[in-house]
Amino acid sequence: MANVKIDCMYEACPIPLLKLARELKKLEQGDVVVVETDHSCAILNITEWAEKEKFDYWIDETNQGEWDIHVRKTRLK
Amino acid sequence: MKVFFTNIFIIVFKKTWPFWVGGSILAVLNILFFALTQRPWKITTGFTYWGAWIFQGFGGRPNNWSYFQGEQKMVALEQWFYSNDLSILNFGVILGALISVLLSGQFKIKRIKNFKQAAFALVGGIIMGYGTRISFGCNIGAFFSSVPSLSFSGYVYGFFVVIGAWLGTKILLKYLL
Amino acid sequence: MNSSVQKKQGLIGLLLLLILVYYFLFKEWNIFQSLLFGTLFGFTLQRSRFCFVSCFRDPILFGNTRIANALLLSLAIMTVSFPVIQKIKFDATGVLVGAVYPTGIHTVVGALLFGFGMVIAGACASGTLMRIGEGYLLQILVLGGFVIGALLGAGTFEWWDNHFISQSPVIFLPELFGWVGAVLFQLTFLLFVYLVIKYYSKKRSLKI
Repeated sequence: MANVKIDCMYEACPIPLLKLARELKKLEQGDVVVVETDHSCAILNITEWAEKEKFDYWIDETNQGEWDIHVRKTRLK
Repeated sequence: MKVFFTNIFIIVFKKTWPFWVGGSILAVLNILFFALTQRPWKITTGFTYWGAWIFQGFGGRPNNWSYFQGEQKMVALEQWFYSNDLSILNFGVILGALISVLLSGQFKIKRIKNFKQAAFALVGGIIMGYGTRISFGCNIGAFFSSVPSLSFSGYVYGFFVVIGAWLGTKILLKYLL
Repeated sequence: MNSSVQKKQGLIGLLLLLILVYYFLFKEWNIFQSLLFGTLFGFTLQRSRFCFVSCFRDPILFGNTRIANALLLSLAIMTVSFPVIQKIKFDATGVLVGAVYPTGIHTVVGALLFGFGMVIAGACASGTLMRIGEGYLLQILVLGGFVIGALLGAGTFEWWDNHFISQSPVIFLPELFGWVGAVLFQLTFLLFVYLVIKYYSKKRSLKI
């Protein structure tokens, strides 16, 4: 079960989600992509999309204004 | 009683507000602002004054320009960053955002990542700035405040912003991703 | 998550509120009022992460509609309130207040430029100010661009005025539909937009 980290620090709104989608595409079901971001907008972006796509996700606030967003490629029936 | 204050504390200090709450509050604020000042929220006219004052500082004379004819704008040219209400309004937005991020303990200086990002930011800003003068405003002045003012210009503006955004996204995907 | 850093930041945040107190005590009322409202706008924008770029871009790019719907709600709330203010003022003084502008080619071009620019720059006007407050250095560049572009726009405004603006009509909806009719029309239109976005976002989402 793979676990890929993508560094999106200092990157603006659509980029983290676009990178996330690109990585998830390459992976298998059950794999997790971790997005490192400091952009508060991006979190909402990503979580809304993950909810729509029915992927599991959870967020760690690692530092002041920095977050790790974990998204697992799942399909909930 | 303690639970009540704890909840207030969390709401003001920590929690992110849902979009619909934020949007509703912004709407109510704009209504109050409009009622009190007779002028709804606008941002980029303030930016134009900033530019004009800096230009004047370098010896420019924009008071001859057709754009600045008209009482309000002529008066504004004589003012300065802290004495003009639109200018202060903009500083207020920065201050408010800063206070919000500090109260939730999430303030962090975010550096510029690379030259490409910086170039896109600057060029994007210039394009937006230019666009706002000919269409009388930005997402706030020409849309957020204009549509509720029952001006059809707001409709046209909103529609073409979407088109422009779509075009911009194509470019973004091609060069920045 | 460092709690002492959070407390320090929180304290600084509270201290900054004293600026408002200072302006209240020592500055003219309209200046204080502007600072107060600006601060409230900025606080609300940041706290709800309200990004207008998302509103215009995300339904098409990702199929995310939550923020666009919130914007439509905002517009609806203002739609039933702004005209009240306008009508009162108009009936009393014959002056029309509000952000009412001529509609024409200049509107189209300006909006296209703005939409394009905001996606490239990653922020709109309100978003730029909000992000500077959050500590993004990049948005200072965007602001710089805004100021330059706005100045250029003001400088060339006369050309646009002569060719397009002065010949463009001001289309104030109550002139077409009456006050009540215009409000009803607009509310219906906002509902229509809500449904259109809902439908199209299902089709155009970022699938992987």
